Formats: sequence, C-alpha cells, structure tokens
Amino acid sequence: MTAGLDLFLIASAALLAVGGFAVVARQNAVITLLGAQFMLLAGGIAFVAFGRFGFGAQNRNGAAAMALFAGATALAQLAIGLAMAAILYREHRSFVLDADAE
Amino acid sequence: MLLLTGTLPAPISSAPLVILIYVVLILMVASALASVLLRDMIYALGTFAATMLLVALLYLTVAPLLLFTVQLLIFAVISAVLVAGLLRMTVGFERRAVGPFSQEWIVGGAVSAAILALLAVVLAATSWPVHVCCSLVEDFAGTLTNGYVVALATIVILLACAALGSGLLVASPGLQRRQSRTRNAPTLPSPRGGGKRRR
Repeated sequence: MTAGLDLFLIASAALLAVGGFAVVARQNAVITLLGAQFMLLAGGIAFVAFGRFGFGAQNRNGAAAMALFAGATALAQLAIGLAMAAILYREHRSFVLDADAE
Repeated sequence: MLLLTGTLPAPISSAPLVILIYVVLILMVASALASVLLRDMIYALGTFAATMLLVALLYLTVAPLLLFTVQLLIFAVISAVLVAGLLRMTVGFERRAVGPFSQEWIVGGAVSAAILALLAVVLAATSWPVHVCCSLVEDFAGTLTNGYVVALATIVILLACAALGSGLLVASPGLQRRQSRTRNAPTLPSPRGGGKRRR
C-alpha cells in the first residue's frame, strides 16, 4: 500500500465537491463561506501533491508557495465574507441568503 | 525548453506514514462534510476547525515545515477565531431552516456529484508526466523571498486590505446608526386602539 499522487488528488477532488455542495445547496451565508474555504483548501492540497509527487517536484517549494498563497487568499475572502455576513445578520436577523427560499 | 531527466519522486511506501495519510485524508473529507451538513452552527465551526487542523497535519507529511506551521498557526486559528467571533457577535446558533432532501439539497448534491465525476474522469484519463527535471534545492523561506517576493507582497497587501475592509464594514457608522434606529423604532399601536381611556 502506497500513498501517491492519485490518493491526494482524489481527496482534493472530494474536498472540492464538498465545498461545491455547500456553495450550491446551503442557504446559510456562513456555511457557504466555509464551503468556499474548502474549495480553496482543495486547490492547495492539489498544488502540494503535484509538488511532492508530480511534475512539480522539480520545484517543490514553488508548489508549497502556491498553496500558501491560496490559503492567504482564502483567509482574506473569509474575513470580508464574514463581515458581510455580520451585516446581513444585522439587517435581517438571519444568515439566510435567499429569503424567498424559506 | 524543458529537460526531462530522472524520474518522479516515488510514492510514500512507509506503512505507518501511509496509514496516517489515509486516516488524515478520510477524517478530513468526513469532517468537511460534517461541517457542511450539521444543523448546529457551533458543531459546524468545530468540524471546520478540525478540517483545517487535519489539512495542516497533511501538509506536515508531504510539504515543507513552514507551510504546516503557517497553516496550523495562522490559517486555522484565524479562520476559527473569525467564525467564532461572528457567531458570538450575532448569536448565530440557529437551527437549519431547510431540511435535508429539499430541492436545494438535491440540486447541490447533483452539482457536487457532477464536479466529483468530472474530476474523476480527468484524473483517470490524464497521463501525468513521469519524468522530472533536476531538483532545485532551496529552502521554502528562501523560495518565498527570492522567487515569489512580488506574490508575497501582493498577498500581504491583500490580507491587510481584507482586515481593514472587514473592520470598516463591521464598524460602519451608518450601519450602527441604522441598527440603533431599528432598536428605538416606535412599536405598533396597541390592539386596543388609542384614544381616551374610558373610566
């Protein structure tokens, strides 16, 4: 039993699908933001996997740098998104994005 | 022109490490799924933090140590603190209004299944390169400060702008004025009606 590129890419794809489900299906703004976080994390994991096992191994640190930048972008997106969610809550006393869906 | 010399790094074959990686990956996907599906926001936050920590643990096995440290100490902690702060500020421990198997959930499940199927097809159909050029030996911090210094500066500016912007949004005076106006809004007239009181 080995752990190679395929395993990490499958896990990354699964995490991306979970994030996509949250973004599409959930009406809660906070959960939607968490889903977007998962999608960016999945991208970071794929970068790291390619850097460790794949063609990117010629510059492994470059792949890790990409993962770092993806994480930082996710953090910035989370900060702004949560501030907008706070405003949404103050206006409507709810995190529900689509009021008509309720 | 790219030189293709040597072979790709071999997959990890050490049994304890492989088992650890499998466990971490399974727990990571399961906790991400739980944070998306759980009714209670506080549990969703807990599983989200667990997912971030598991990703950090995954980075520890296959990535430079600095990435693990940054993921663990900065990304995971700040993300969890931000979400917890929002929940505390808004008392957002709500029950789920939309039940499972509703139309939204079915559509979302279909979309995510389609994404997963597409990625599976791409993974199965692509023949990844099997050779690699010479390996560049440089530490991660050196790579960041030498090869990616512009990107690093951009990310720093982005994070600073995000922190400033989110602070301004939350502490917006217009918003607080509107909120206080709502709080002091006149109440509806009494159902008994106004007018003089009968004696």
